[in-house]
Amino acid sequence: MHAPPVVFRKVRARSSNSCFKNPHDDDMQAIEVSHLIKRFGTLTAVNDITFSVAAGETFGFLGPNGAGKTTTIRILTGISPPNSGQATIFGHDIMRETVAARQSMGIVSETSNVYTDLTGWQNMMLAAQLYRIGRSEREKNASELLKRFELYERRNDKVHGFSKGMKRRLTIAMGLVNSPRLLFLDEPTSGLDVESNLIIRQMISDLITGGVTVFLTTHNIEEANILCDRVAIIDKGVIAAIDAPEQLKKTIQSVQSIEVAFLDGTSPTRLDELRALPMVNDARKEGDKFKLFTEDPSQVIDAVMAYAHDHHTRVISITTLGPSLEDVFVRLTGLQRGGGISAID
Amino acid sequence: MPSISLAGIEDRLSRELVAAWAIAKKDVLIYYLRPGVIVGGVLFPLFMFLAFSAGKLATPVQLVPGLIGITTLFSASSIEPVSVPIERRTETFDRLLAAPISLNALVLGESISGLVYSVLIAAVVFIAALAVLMTPIANIFLIVFGILFSSMCFATLGTLFAAYPTENPGDIISMVNVVRFPLIFISGVFIPIAVLPSFGQMIAYISPLTYANDLIQGGYSGKMTFHPIFDVGMLIVFILIFQVIANYLYKRFND
Ligand SMILES: Nc1ncnc2c1ncn2[C@@H]1O[C@H](COP(=O)(O)OP(=O)(O)OP(=O)(O)O)[C@@H](O)[C@H]1O
Ligand SMILES: [Mg+2]
Repeated sequence: MHAPPVVFRKVRARSSNSCFKNPHDDDMQAIEVSHLIKRFGTLTAVNDITFSVAAGETFGFLGPNGAGKTTTIRILTGISPPNSGQATIFGHDIMRETVAARQSMGIVSETSNVYTDLTGWQNMMLAAQLYRIGRSEREKNASELLKRFELYERRNDKVHGFSKGMKRRLTIAMGLVNSPRLLFLDEPTSGLDVESNLIIRQMISDLITGGVTVFLTTHNIEEANILCDRVAIIDKGVIAAIDAPEQLKKTIQSVQSIEVAFLDGTSPTRLDELRALPMVNDARKEGDKFKLFTEDPSQVIDAVMAYAHDHHTRVISITTLGPSLEDVFVRLTGLQRGGGISAID
Repeated sequence: MPSISLAGIEDRLSRELVAAWAIAKKDVLIYYLRPGVIVGGVLFPLFMFLAFSAGKLATPVQLVPGLIGITTLFSASSIEPVSVPIERRTETFDRLLAAPISLNALVLGESISGLVYSVLIAAVVFIAALAVLMTPIANIFLIVFGILFSSMCFATLGTLFAAYPTENPGDIISMVNVVRFPLIFISGVFIPIAVLPSFGQMIAYISPLTYANDLIQGGYSGKMTFHPIFDVGMLIVFILIFQVIANYLYKRFND
């Protein structure tokens, strides 16, 4: 095989990453991690990871279920002690200067851990008091955040009655109540509808613009691609790659593809005929289109045009697709397409 | 090493106290009226009282101090064994663990909610006894101190047991009961320490309820086994020991 067996889902590769930006001038690292190891019994959940996140950067932690994303966040927020290794938050060692390190962070955990017996407002007040934010400031912050997350009208209702998306939004609002410089977001949008998703993504963009450092875990590749300056791909507790999304894609330039549709649709032999064209590594039929994988798109385009001419048909659309972050992910995690694909949504 | 200045310590202390109070307030709002808490903290001591007064020659008036003692024991230690496992399950406990405060402040905050609960219930018993039975009082300060310090002591005991990493309140409640029930019999609450076998008397000295009971009994009858300052001192020692152990356990069981 020249290329790994690849089935694209309806995720388009982006030709450019719109949010790539220079790290801020501040040269203090927001997060510095060296050789962290965390074991649970015989299982090594985090296996010797080292990375750093610059102040103002948006850093994505991308990995399948059980990769060690949440475990890493729990170590970085000082909830869970590592077996070995070091982590500092804005220069404060998380093990030895836990309180100072936590002061500047906001934490949004994977489950929406809000007090369902309290109202939205009471939840915000509690979160703020844990950071000793004075009454007038916490009331102002809470009102602003609840409005921003479209929860203000419901602020005096018990959270019991909130929908999943509302609880998620409240969790995020609580994580922001101390105006953190560094925000940990553990799968902020997983399982939410489009509207909640949009509100949350917009909020993350606003924070990024405002210079807040964001550490985001996700198994949503597109989310990482859209939001992150850099992405670490973690699998089985090990970081497989760490770079800007576009750089990661460059590492697997061989997985480019051409999507083509013919005027007369398909024929029983067409897939095999296309697969036999020069420079085509693999071909698949996707709906009324064919997808041809290659390392050299321009040669394949010529070949397809010639093929159309020879077979008395016409090409009605043809598109070149670069490798997607999903391809990188699949390549690096050795994930089998098909069965394992459900690990990524 | 962070610099140690008076202002720094004051700042840190006020931060910790604000957070501890916020944690306690949350427990007040959420857990005080939970059925599990009411059964363990209010009904249990009441039944114990009725059982003892029914089978005894003692008059209800003589039993009131004992009732107040076991009320503080049961009600103070009934909040955290319920709230902490529930919060582990809902993962709201992570929120508290991740707050910019020390574990000591977290333990203190949790315990304060037990303290307040216990003081409220003991006050109800005290006032009801006064109104209905017209119990004579020798020294009200001894009663007040007895209630306050024993409530804090048993609240911290409850928080200590709640450190056991389970998501099921029943697990912790049964462990707490293994300690709470024997205490009633060896602390002079219903059975005077003097009539206990010598082995029992030895154990009585390591029971905080002995000192709490001595204060409260003394407040009603004027007769005490120990000096009141010794009683309060012993309760403070127990509070500190429980606080330190609880702190250690929460750290230890944290994964
Ligand atoms: N408290 C724990 N005790 C035992 N094993 C644990 C514990 N926490 C995590 N693990 C294990 O560590 C591994 C990493 O888990 P982690 O929750 O960090 O994964 P994740 O990347 O966040 O996955 P997901 O996408 O499902 O949230 C898993 O195999 C998990 O079973
Ligand atoms: Mg996770």
